[in-house]
Amino acid sequence: MKQITITIDNQKINATEGANLLQVAKDHDIAIPHLCYHKKLSPTGACRLCIVKIEGQRGMVASCAVHVSDGMKVTAFDEELEEARKYLLDYLLSEHNEEYDGTYHDEFRELIYKYGLNNKENRRFPSIWKELGYPADETSPVLAYDAAKCIRCFRCIKGCDEVQGKNVLSFTNRGILSYIIGGFDKWGESECDGCGECIQLCPTGAIVEKPHRESINIENGIKKVRSTCPYCGVGCQLELWVQDGKVVRSNGVEGVSPNDGRLCVKGRFGYDYVSHPDRLTTPLIKKDGKFAEASWDEALDLVARKFGEIKEKYGRKSLAGYASAKTTNEDNYLFMKLVRLVFGNNNVDYCTRLCHASTVTAMLRSLGDGAGSNSIEDYETSDCMLVTGNNMIETHPVTATFVKYAAQRHDAKIIIIDPKWTPLVKDAHIWLQPRLGSDVALLNGMIRVIVKEDLIDREFIEKRVEDGMEAYEALKALVEKYTPEYTEEITGVPAELMQEAARIYAKAERPLIATGMGYSQQVTGTHNVFCLINMMLITGQIGREGAGLNPPRGQNNVQGVSDVGASPFTYPGYISVEDEENRRKVAKVWGVDPDELDGEKGLSTVEIMQAAYDGGIRGMYIMGENPMLTDPNLNHTEEAIKKLEFLVVQDIFHTETTPYADVILPATAFAESEGTYVNSDRRVLRVRKAVDPPGESRQDWEIVAEIARRMGKPLGNYRHESDIWDEIAKTAPIFAGISYDRLEQHGIQWPCPDKGHPGTATLFEERFNTPNGLGKLHPVDYAEQSERASEEYPLILNTGRILYQYHSSTMSRRNKALTDFANDAYVLVHPTDASKFGIADRQKVKIISRRGEIENISVNVSEEVLPGELFMPFHYSEAPVNRLTRDELDPYSKIAPFKLSAVRIEA
Amino acid sequence: MSIKEIIKQFEPEQHNLLHILHALQDANPANYITGEALEETARHLGITKSSVYGVARYYTMFSLEPRGKYIIRVCASPVCELLRANEIIALLEEELKVKTGETTADGMFTLELSECLGQCQEAPSMMINDKVYNSLDRGRIREVLKSYRG
Repeated sequence: MKQITITIDNQKINATEGANLLQVAKDHDIAIPHLCYHKKLSPTGACRLCIVKIEGQRGMVASCAVHVSDGMKVTAFDEELEEARKYLLDYLLSEHNEEYDGTYHDEFRELIYKYGLNNKENRRFPSIWKELGYPADETSPVLAYDAAKCIRCFRCIKGCDEVQGKNVLSFTNRGILSYIIGGFDKWGESECDGCGECIQLCPTGAIVEKPHRESINIENGIKKVRSTCPYCGVGCQLELWVQDGKVVRSNGVEGVSPNDGRLCVKGRFGYDYVSHPDRLTTPLIKKDGKFAEASWDEALDLVARKFGEIKEKYGRKSLAGYASAKTTNEDNYLFMKLVRLVFGNNNVDYCTRLCHASTVTAMLRSLGDGAGSNSIEDYETSDCMLVTGNNMIETHPVTATFVKYAAQRHDAKIIIIDPKWTPLVKDAHIWLQPRLGSDVALLNGMIRVIVKEDLIDREFIEKRVEDGMEAYEALKALVEKYTPEYTEEITGVPAELMQEAARIYAKAERPLIATGMGYSQQVTGTHNVFCLINMMLITGQIGREGAGLNPPRGQNNVQGVSDVGASPFTYPGYISVEDEENRRKVAKVWGVDPDELDGEKGLSTVEIMQAAYDGGIRGMYIMGENPMLTDPNLNHTEEAIKKLEFLVVQDIFHTETTPYADVILPATAFAESEGTYVNSDRRVLRVRKAVDPPGESRQDWEIVAEIARRMGKPLGNYRHESDIWDEIAKTAPIFAGISYDRLEQHGIQWPCPDKGHPGTATLFEERFNTPNGLGKLHPVDYAEQSERASEEYPLILNTGRILYQYHSSTMSRRNKALTDFANDAYVLVHPTDASKFGIADRQKVKIISRRGEIENISVNVSEEVLPGELFMPFHYSEAPVNRLTRDELDPYSKIAPFKLSAVRIEA
Repeated sequence: MSIKEIIKQFEPEQHNLLHILHALQDANPANYITGEALEETARHLGITKSSVYGVARYYTMFSLEPRGKYIIRVCASPVCELLRANEIIALLEEELKVKTGETTADGMFTLELSECLGQCQEAPSMMINDKVYNSLDRGRIREVLKSYRG
C-alpha cells in the first residue's frame, strides 16, 4: 500500500493511498463532525455533516465518501463549512424529538450543544416532528425504537447487515416519513436475535436498550470496566457499565480483537445473573440432610478435615477434582496445584473432556498442539470455510459474523457438514448432510476424491509430514475403498456434492476448518478429527495465515484451563505428567520435593465418576461445574455421586449438583473477579472486577488456597492474581513472555516465549509442535456405531445448544432478556417420523433410551433434522437429555458420545 | 392459485421480489398483499421479512390493506394541479362518498393520488387500474364511473 501525504487545514498528514478521508482525519484527532459514518461500516453520506473543501474540486464534499490521494489539500474547518454544518444540524433537529433521558450516549445532542442549537433562539427551523406522527416500536424484548429520535443515518441497518451479516433491518415509507423497521414493522416478530449491534451503533438514542432503562443515568456517575465475556470461547471484550454497585449494561469494545465491538445477545444482555437474588452468599454445610449456613472457618475446616481423613484412610488416589471452564486461569491453576500437591494425585479434569477432548487429542497427536491454529479474524479473509458439526451462528455468534462476512462480501465458499440444519446453511455454498455417526466415511470419501484427482500438495507432504509420501501412500491405500458410491451408501450424502466439496477445499487459497461438537462428541470423535487432519495435511492447507484447523471453544475459559494444566494428563503448557524433568522443574517453582508429585496419569472426567461409582474415588471437589446436568448417562452419574463419602461444590448458584454436596462454597461471578481467560484463538485476555461479590462469597482461587493451607500445604503467598499468573508463566513455556502489564490494552496469543515476543497469530508456520516437527497422518477406517437404531429404539437422538441459553443454563436462565427469547425445551422430529409414529407438532412426548427416560417434552415437527433422527438442546434441567445419553467413551480422548443415542418416542 | 403456487412460479432469486409482489397483489380480488403473502415471499426468497416489507411499503402501487376492485389514481403533479386537479379530487370524493385513501362501502373503488402520469398535454388525468383517462371534467368523470359501475 502506497504511503502518501495530504494536508488538512495546513497540517501535513501521512496516510495510505485510497484511505477514507474522514477516518484519516479522525485518526489524527481532527474532529470533523459526523453522524452516519462509522469506521466499521461502508460510508453512507447521508448526514452531510462531514463536508470539507478539497482544492481543485467544486463546492463541499462529504469527506466520508472521499478516498485520499497524494497531495490532496483539504479544508476541514472554515466559517462557511461551520455555518453549513449548523444549518444541516438545525434542519435535522426540526424533525427530531430532542428529549433526552440520560440512558445512552447521544452523539447528535453533543453536536447540537457544540453548535449552540440547544438555545432555541439560534434555530431557524420550527420543530415539526410532532406533526409527522412518527411511530415507536416497543415489541422487542430487549430494545425500543422511536422514529421521532431517528435521523435515518442507516448505521443500524448497515450494522445488522455488514457487521452482523443478518440484514434484519430495513426502512419503510419515503422521505421525511421514512423510518427503520424490523420484520413487518414489528421488531419483536422479526428475525432479530437481540445482538444489539444496532443499539451500540445508534448515534441518537432512537434505538435503546430496554433493561435498566428506568435506572441508568449516565450523567450521574457510571463506572466503566473493561472485561471479557463469561459465555462462549470467542472472548469478546466488554465494557461493563456499573451503577450503584450493579452491572447495568454491557457494550462491545470497539477496535479491539477478537470482537471489534460486536457482541451476541448473551454478551450484551446476559449479565443480570450476577446480581440475581438466587446467588449463593454464604457457605452451607449439610446437616441431617438439610443445608445450614456456616461461617467460612467452619466450612473450610470441615472440608480440610474430611479430605484429609479420606486421603489418610483410602490413600492419595481416593480424591479428585473437577476444575472449571468458567473461572479464571489463576483459579484453575491453583485448583490444579491443590490436586497435585495437596490431594497428591493427578485426578483433575473438567468439562473439556465432554467437549473438544477428541479434537485436542487428535491435534496433539498429529500436529503437536491442541489449540486453534489461526486467528478468529482470519475467517473474514478466508476463501473457503469447512464447518463441521459446528452450529456457530448459535454457539459462537461473533465468530460467525466474520464467517458470514467472507461469504456475503467476497464470495468465500462455506461448506457445511452437519446432519442437522443450522442457520449458517443460508450462507453456505454446499451443505453435506451425513447420517449421524458416518463422518469418517464421508471424509475418507473426500480424501479419495483429492487423491484420485491429484489435488494433493506433494511438496508439503514431503517436507512437513512424517514419512512423507510413504505415509501418504498408506492413507491412499486405506481410502481406496471409499468410492463415491460406497461413501454415499454409508453417509446418504449425494456423491457429486461430496466430490465438489472436496475439490473446493483442496483448491482453496485460504481454507479454514472450523470443527465443533458434532465431530468431537462421538465415540469416534478422535477419528473424525484425524480424518480432517489427514485431508488438511495432504492438501497442505495449514501453516499459513488463513489456513488451518480451528475448534471454537464452547466456554469462556475452556482453552485456558487446559493451558494452565488442569488435566489428568498434562502439566501447564501441555507437558506430560509423566515427564520427569518437567516435574522437577515445576517442583522447583513450587518449592517442593519432586517426589511429592505423582508421575502417573490421573483419571479423566467421566472416569472419575466411574471410579466414584466403583469406590476408587471417595471424596470430590467440584469447582463451577454441574455434572448432574451435563455429564452423560446421568442416572449412572447420580448413583456415582451419591456413593461419594464427601463432596464439596463451589459455585455461584444452587445447581442440579449442589443437592448432593456435603459443603457448598459460594464463589464469585466473572464481574466480581480479577484474572485472565484464554479464548479460542489462544488469546490471553484480562478479566477485571467491576462489582463487589454478594454476601460473603469469595473468589475461587482464594477458597482453593485456604483449603490447601488448612490441609497443611499452603500453595504460595499470593497478594494479587498477577502473582499467580507470574507463576503460571514460569511453569508453562507457552506463556513465558506474558504478564498483566502487557495485557492492559489487548490480549496476546500464545505461544509467547519471551517478554519481547508479540505473540503468535498463526501456528505451525515453520514446523509442527511434535517432537520431530512433522505432522503425522493417521489413516482410520469407518466403523459402524455400537449404538444403532433398533426395533425397540428406532430413532437416533442428537443433542446440542441454542443461541439464547448456555451450557446448563445456571447463568443464562437468570436473565430475563434471554429467557424472553427462549426458555422451553423441545425435541425436533422430522415430519416423516411424526406421521410414522403418530405425533403432532407441540404434542408432549416421553423419550426413552436404554439408559433412562425423560417426559413432557414438547415436539417441534421440523425438517431441520433427517428422517430417523431427533435433536434436543441440553440446557434445560426439566428436560435432562443426558439421562438418555451414553458414557461409552472414545478410547483415545475419553469423550462421551452426546451426539448419538438410540431412543424411542412415546406419546 | 394459492399464494404458495403464485410465488413458486418465480425462481427464488432476490431480483424477482417486485415481480412476485405484483403477481400477489394482482391475484388478490381486494387488490392488496396480505401478511401471509409477505411471509411466504420472504421464505421463498430466503430474505428477511423487513426486506420484503420495506419494498412493499416503498412503492405506492402496492397496498398492504384491502382496497377496492378498481384503484383510481388522480394525478396530483404540478401541471394537473394548475388545471384544477383539486376540483377533480373533490368531485371524486363527493361522487364516491369517500376521502382520498379510502375505499367505497361496496368495495368497488379506492381513491388515491399519484405522481405525474405523463399525460400533461391532456391534463388533468387519472388512472383506473391500468387505464388512463385524460382531459377530466365533471361530465367525463361521471361517464367513466358509470362505465365501471355498469
